[in-house]
Amino acid sequence: MPEGAVELGYDGPVIGPEQDFSSVSATLSDLVLERPTPRWWYVGAGISAAGLVLFVIACVWTFVGGVGVWGVNIPVAWGFALANYVWWIGIASGGTFISSLFYLIGSDWRNGVNRTAETMTLCAAAAAGMMPILHLGRQGLFYWLFPYSTVMGVWPQFLSPLLWDFFALLCYILNSIVFWYIGLVPDCATLRDRATKRWQQIFYGILALGWRGSGRDWHGYKATYLVMAGIMAPMVVSVHSIVGLDFAAGLIGGWHSTQWPPYFFIGALYSGWAVVLALMIPLRRFYSLERIVTERHLDVIAKLMLATGLMLAYCYLLEAMEPFYTGDPTKVAAYMGSAFGHYGATFWARNTLNIFIPQLLWLPLVRRNKIALELISIGIVAGMWIERYNFVVSALAQDYMPSKWGWFGATFWDWAILIGSAGMAMFGFFAFIRLLPVVSMFEIREIIHKRRGSDASKGGRS
Amino acid sequence: MTKFYGLIGEFRTSGEAAAVARELREAGFARWDVYGPAPLEDIEHATPTRRGIVITAIMVAAAIVGACWGYFLQYWGAVIDFPINVGGRPLNGWPGFVPSAWEICALFTVYFGFFAFLASCRLPRLHQPIFAAPHFERATQDRFFVCVEAADARYDAARLREIFARHDAVATSEVPA
Repeated sequence: MPEGAVELGYDGPVIGPEQDFSSVSATLSDLVLERPTPRWWYVGAGISAAGLVLFVIACVWTFVGGVGVWGVNIPVAWGFALANYVWWIGIASGGTFISSLFYLIGSDWRNGVNRTAETMTLCAAAAAGMMPILHLGRQGLFYWLFPYSTVMGVWPQFLSPLLWDFFALLCYILNSIVFWYIGLVPDCATLRDRATKRWQQIFYGILALGWRGSGRDWHGYKATYLVMAGIMAPMVVSVHSIVGLDFAAGLIGGWHSTQWPPYFFIGALYSGWAVVLALMIPLRRFYSLERIVTERHLDVIAKLMLATGLMLAYCYLLEAMEPFYTGDPTKVAAYMGSAFGHYGATFWARNTLNIFIPQLLWLPLVRRNKIALELISIGIVAGMWIERYNFVVSALAQDYMPSKWGWFGATFWDWAILIGSAGMAMFGFFAFIRLLPVVSMFEIREIIHKRRGSDASKGGRS
Repeated sequence: MTKFYGLIGEFRTSGEAAAVARELREAGFARWDVYGPAPLEDIEHATPTRRGIVITAIMVAAAIVGACWGYFLQYWGAVIDFPINVGGRPLNGWPGFVPSAWEICALFTVYFGFFAFLASCRLPRLHQPIFAAPHFERATQDRFFVCVEAADARYDAARLREIFARHDAVATSEVPA
């Protein structure tokens, strides 16, 4: 903390009052341009890289040996890969939603975390994008999903939610890249102009595309960004709702219900907030960003997480109500099977991690304890994976015919894909925090300008 | 042929730069712009441009075209090119075509918006003439600049220097061409 600076606190402003244009530009650029790579970075990136290598090996082994190397079989023909897919795409959704929705409603705390959230989205979406390809079975034919008829003159079945999923995921990943990059262009220009090493000037110069910061350019920029945010927010809702419809359109007892789109989407936001929080707490500490990503940010996201957790609790209650309300014996059996059957432990683990423990966030004492907050967030991220796993596997294991019931057991390669994909996503994130500004500099300047008026840039070096 | 790209003034605050912009605008200058490190309202109000509305219109048009194209793609495949009768269900099952059409609509909106934005700024252009101005690297950090191009019909260095000075310019200099 700089000398003489006031305490910010949890009810304080979203930015240290002593911050001005110069200090923000210097603090955030120097993390990337000047500061030598810290030791914790090597440790984190090294572990992530090991995970990435494991992921590559597991993918190659799956391509060579087929999906039979996993524990999937009939009746549980979908296992980890589907649960991983839903989980990763959910995490991705949360990041885009923070960035776009809270931009539209003009929340000033959003500007401190949106870059991290968007980057986390990209890394998670990349991991999510691998899963459908892996569990296609015949991965080499994935291009049959594309809507063109040169393959035997046939078109894909456009009425299938699985194809909606293809469009949703593909368009979402492509849009997320642009949404993330357009936010980076002015910041890359700052890095280009502050860089002292030749390679940095070239690297950031190319990424900045020649951005000048002209008033007319900014005008077009804001209009573009506003419309993009306006389309990204509903798009995220649609992407995860379509994932829910994949299940709703299935005829399996535990899946065949119209409640999944909101159920899945709320869970997606929940895991997204949790990952943002789990990443921001160590990041702001290790990079000494306490004056820019303040305790107020953590408090806001913690409250948001609590509220979303309550919505998810409502979804869980609705999930319990529906089978008994309809009285359909298949649904009742599927629900009872998921809660008290072979997979009952995962059902109660998800309730504990997602619903019971996060109730501690009601207490300011817990919300303001960063270690507790970090642990609760990690618990939610794990709990959301367990929820997806329970949902996918228990419904398939106990289908209509008891004689057909069977259990799923994960193999080493299932775990390798799960852990490896986490390694891949984290490696992407570590690369980002070393190469690009972790907080959007120009958006922070906007907040400073709003708080201090037009003399915001005064007080720096002259 | 002009020897200089233009005359540039450097300012400490966005308010000063915006005041200069207002004065230039009232005096009828055409080829000038304000440069700063963030999209700030006072500068926005002082800078005349219709880019925002043009880009928004392009994005809305792209959304409509994308939605129609996305729907048509599915209609063509499922109804015209390879119709399959599945238990007498309608070939044009429009509710089932809506989700994919919407995703393609969003894709078109974002990409057309991005490229329209780049075109409006004449980017990518890695080196801009204005980068030759002294201290201009601070335009992306903490300073504001107003530059009037020498190609402007009303360009008059002495008068501009007077305007910049009156608004507390930190420095005024000529930008080499």
